[in-house]
Amino acid sequence: MAASSSARGELEKMGIDQLKALKEQADLEVNLLQDSLNNIRTANARLESAAGALNDLSLRPQGKKMLVPLTASLYVPGTLDEADKVLVDIGTGYFIEKTMEDGKDYCQRKINLLKSNYEQLFEVLAKKKSVADEAGMVLQGKVRQLQAATTS
Amino acid sequence: MSSSSMALRDMQRDLEAKANDLAKIQKEIAKNHQLRKKYTIQLGENELVLKELDLLEDDANVYKLIGPVLVKQDLAEANANVRKRIEYISAELKRIDATLQDNEGQQNSKREAMMKLQQRLQSIQAGKAKA
Repeated sequence: MAASSSARGELEKMGIDQLKALKEQADLEVNLLQDSLNNIRTANARLESAAGALNDLSLRPQGKKMLVPLTASLYVPGTLDEADKVLVDIGTGYFIEKTMEDGKDYCQRKINLLKSNYEQLFEVLAKKKSVADEAGMVLQGKVRQLQAATTS
Repeated sequence: MSSSSMALRDMQRDLEAKANDLAKIQKEIAKNHQLRKKYTIQLGENELVLKELDLLEDDANVYKLIGPVLVKQDLAEANANVRKRIEYISAELKRIDATLQDNEGQQNSKREAMMKLQQRLQSIQAGKAKA
């Protein structure tokens, strides 16, 4: 409570132009953070579907008939080879061979990492948003004061 | 009278030149910020890769995507490569940070010089208007 009231005091001391600039800056940052949050959510969704696909794959028996995509519109019939080994893309062009267990574990680890990043980012966003809102309110108050002063 | 108006014009031209310099430096700063962002992202990605490689057993298979080809790589070699990249990127980041600081210093000093010149110009113009 003390922190927000002292910040409020700071905001009150600033001129209208400064306040407007501050609010615009804060709004910009809020938008950037929102975009980042959305990106994290998308990445998380992709990882979750990868984990789901892995789970599904692990249930299939070896030798099962399947259709293999060669291009976006061309599929070729084939049989499922060993479903115990999977190739994991870890970034910068590196792939590692892992067992099905490790693969699922990898997906889960990434999902957890993204979740914690999301939560941290969300906190930062909340703080920035409150600053932007405060600045907006103080700005409105000042503008109204100014109008009242000039009309009277 | 004419000499002072010539001096006035000189000052205005000087002001313009300084404004151009300032704009140039600001563009440099923006470019460096972009570069810095790119390197930071790459550094993060490479560190993730290193972590995964460390978790692997020594006999696990590592493949690298070179163009359209997946090539089998030695785990030790992959580790060394990623570590070297991380070192290189960190060095680049440090260099860019130093450049950025330098640029910001230049930007501030140019801004100050511009403001001083502007003030002088304004006071002279005000003086002329009164006369």
